[in-house]
Amino acid sequence: MSARLLGWALAAATAIAVIANQRGVGIARDEVIYMQTGARYAEWWIGLASFQHGIGEASITRTFGGPGATDNNREHPPVMKTLFGLSGRLLHDKLGLLDEVTAYRLPSAVMAGLAVALVYGFALALWGVAEAVIAALLLLLLPRALFHAGLACFDAPTMTLWFATVWAYARALDGRRWPWQVGVLWGLALGTKHTALLLPFALGLHYLILGYRARPAGGDLRATLRAMIGHRWRVIVSLAVLGPLTLYVVWPWLWFEPIHHVRDWLAFHTNHVHYNYEYLGRNWNAPRFPWHVALVTTLVTVPVATLAAAALGAGVWIARRGRIATAPELLLALSAAASIGPFFLGTTPIFGAEKHWMPVLPTICLAAGAGVVWAARRAAGRIPERVAITGLAAAVALAALSEVSVAEPYALTWYSALAGGAPGGADLGMNRQFWGVAMRGVLPALPAPAKPTYIYTHASTSTRAWSRTPCSMPAGSRPASSAASSPW
Amino acid sequence: MTALPSRPLPIAAAPALLLIAISGWELCAAARDATAVPAPDAAAWRAAAATVRAGFRSGDLIAFAPDWIDPVGRMQLGDLIPIEAAARMDAARYGRIWELAIRGARSPDTAGLAPVEAVERDGVAVRRYERAPAIVVGDVLDRLASATSDGPRPTLELAEVGFAPHRCLQISPAPGAAVRIAFPRLPLGRELVGYVGIADVFTRRDVRSPGRLEVEIAGRVVASAVAGVDDGWVRFAAPTAPGPADVVFIARATDANRRICFAAEARR
Repeated sequence: MSARLLGWALAAATAIAVIANQRGVGIARDEVIYMQTGARYAEWWIGLASFQHGIGEASITRTFGGPGATDNNREHPPVMKTLFGLSGRLLHDKLGLLDEVTAYRLPSAVMAGLAVALVYGFALALWGVAEAVIAALLLLLLPRALFHAGLACFDAPTMTLWFATVWAYARALDGRRWPWQVGVLWGLALGTKHTALLLPFALGLHYLILGYRARPAGGDLRATLRAMIGHRWRVIVSLAVLGPLTLYVVWPWLWFEPIHHVRDWLAFHTNHVHYNYEYLGRNWNAPRFPWHVALVTTLVTVPVATLAAAALGAGVWIARRGRIATAPELLLALSAAASIGPFFLGTTPIFGAEKHWMPVLPTICLAAGAGVVWAARRAAGRIPERVAITGLAAAVALAALSEVSVAEPYALTWYSALAGGAPGGADLGMNRQFWGVAMRGVLPALPAPAKPTYIYTHASTSTRAWSRTPCSMPAGSRPASSAASSPW
Repeated sequence: MTALPSRPLPIAAAPALLLIAISGWELCAAARDATAVPAPDAAAWRAAAATVRAGFRSGDLIAFAPDWIDPVGRMQLGDLIPIEAAARMDAARYGRIWELAIRGARSPDTAGLAPVEAVERDGVAVRRYERAPAIVVGDVLDRLASATSDGPRPTLELAEVGFAPHRCLQISPAPGAAVRIAFPRLPLGRELVGYVGIADVFTRRDVRSPGRLEVEIAGRVVASAVAGVDDGWVRFAAPTAPGPADVVFIARATDANRRICFAAEARR
């Protein structure tokens, strides 16, 4: 099997694993909203493409916006929601290939597979096939990430598009004439979740550092600044122009009053309400939050062996710094820092925990890949290097797999062996469950109703999370045209 | 000149050995952790529940430890836990307490007590404690009808305070204005014990100032407590002279919609 094919095989395996795993996961509260609005977004695009309607402010507002801050879920951009809707319409409604929930969740699973492919490709291009395979495998074998990837939500796709942008940026540093990919991918990342706004902090700093290194010897301040800012100026133009432009194109809500609507979008998140979040035995629903929430949560929600390998890999990266002119290790570190950094401030909402800083995971897994290969090569002597790498990689991957096997489908309750597993996490007073996904497991214990019925997961909402007829969409969440055929 | 050996020093294998050791430990630990707690419908829980049912008497209290296992406990024995027990002020009035515990945990309700009976059911410990219960001679929750208020009247609620259910009298004083809730001729014993807290997690989030409660007997403040948003169910107590007395609870808040919940009972 060629190295490239191996990467795609790992990506496919990831998507399949995500799809298989999500079958046991109840429908999350927010997921229902995204499915519902995604179905409407998809209908609108299909209507536009089939000339059933044109581009009118009224129809766009009716579908994508409204006067209220959360009307038609306008607080979140539409890329993934639209894909959820298109997938549901095609793979369930039209072709009948998948049950409704799986059809809506499929795009997120595919994006998880794509993330594995990207990590694999990144490592393959820079270091080697061993690092690539190990990093990809360890990304697949992250219990929380696997769980989040199975929901029709934005967190796994955001990680994918964030990392895709990072890689596109790294490739664009080769001086290519038209580095359009980086701008478009960042635009798609923005079109998925607002957290992509943090990415330019990583790319920008990396860009400036590379420019500083490339400054002319003996140059004055002006020459240094010119080198720092202009050494790959097309990358900057791509990000600055194509990024916002892509966001604009994919989000019809911005087609009218774009500045006003962007301001509303950002204001929603800068003033986001704080939900309850249990951390180390205390409920946190108002700032200031402990500075170490993201650090500790990451430490106990990534398999221990993966973290240990990543720590070795980070050391390897530091030792080898400067060997590659474009400093990819620095880029990965900055990418992780930009993703997780805001959660050290004490004011950023922490309720989503690890899912809100998932773009840190490719960096961790790439470092782990580097760490495993380095450690195995040092140990190789009496045994062939290939055997040493395979054996060590298998040990670390098996440890991660063991965590996955005990975590699902209640991975939000799971904590790594470092915390003592799920019970250890509970003893530590760490957060366990949100969004109501766990309620699916209690359905068999409930008396079977005479007819399909609704199960309410939140006292404060009427969204329906799972019926006695599994794998069916909430009728009220569907477009009116298809609600009648729902088994609910 | 002889060539230096190319074989790496044994120490070079240390990082790999460390990774193998961590991986092996995690493999075992994950498997161990996964079975560390019996499943909610496991035979261990059913056997533990059967033990309790066999010896249960009306008026007994059933407690679970650690507190995060409470839903499983209620699934097994919820029919023996009336609201009055589940939303109790504290456990002092219970002379017999059944404790179902895992992972070596103890319930705060049994602190300082020694079990008179203890059995283990496949990882679920069942312990029975006995003690002289507090004799309650007056409970403000039972006397709300006779209470007077110089402001809004308190209501009897089953409220969430500190993420636990509590039956309590709830009052939301106007900002800066104390509300005096008087219980005329409340029978007293040797001690008045009460608790106060702020109800409703969402108003605790949105209004961050504490609530205050003072207890006045015969015109003299005998106890006071401040309940902050993260303080939960705060105890207060005062020695009292046996016999009926006018007892006044004075609630204060600096912000609107501060849902102060309190309960108190006079003990012989």
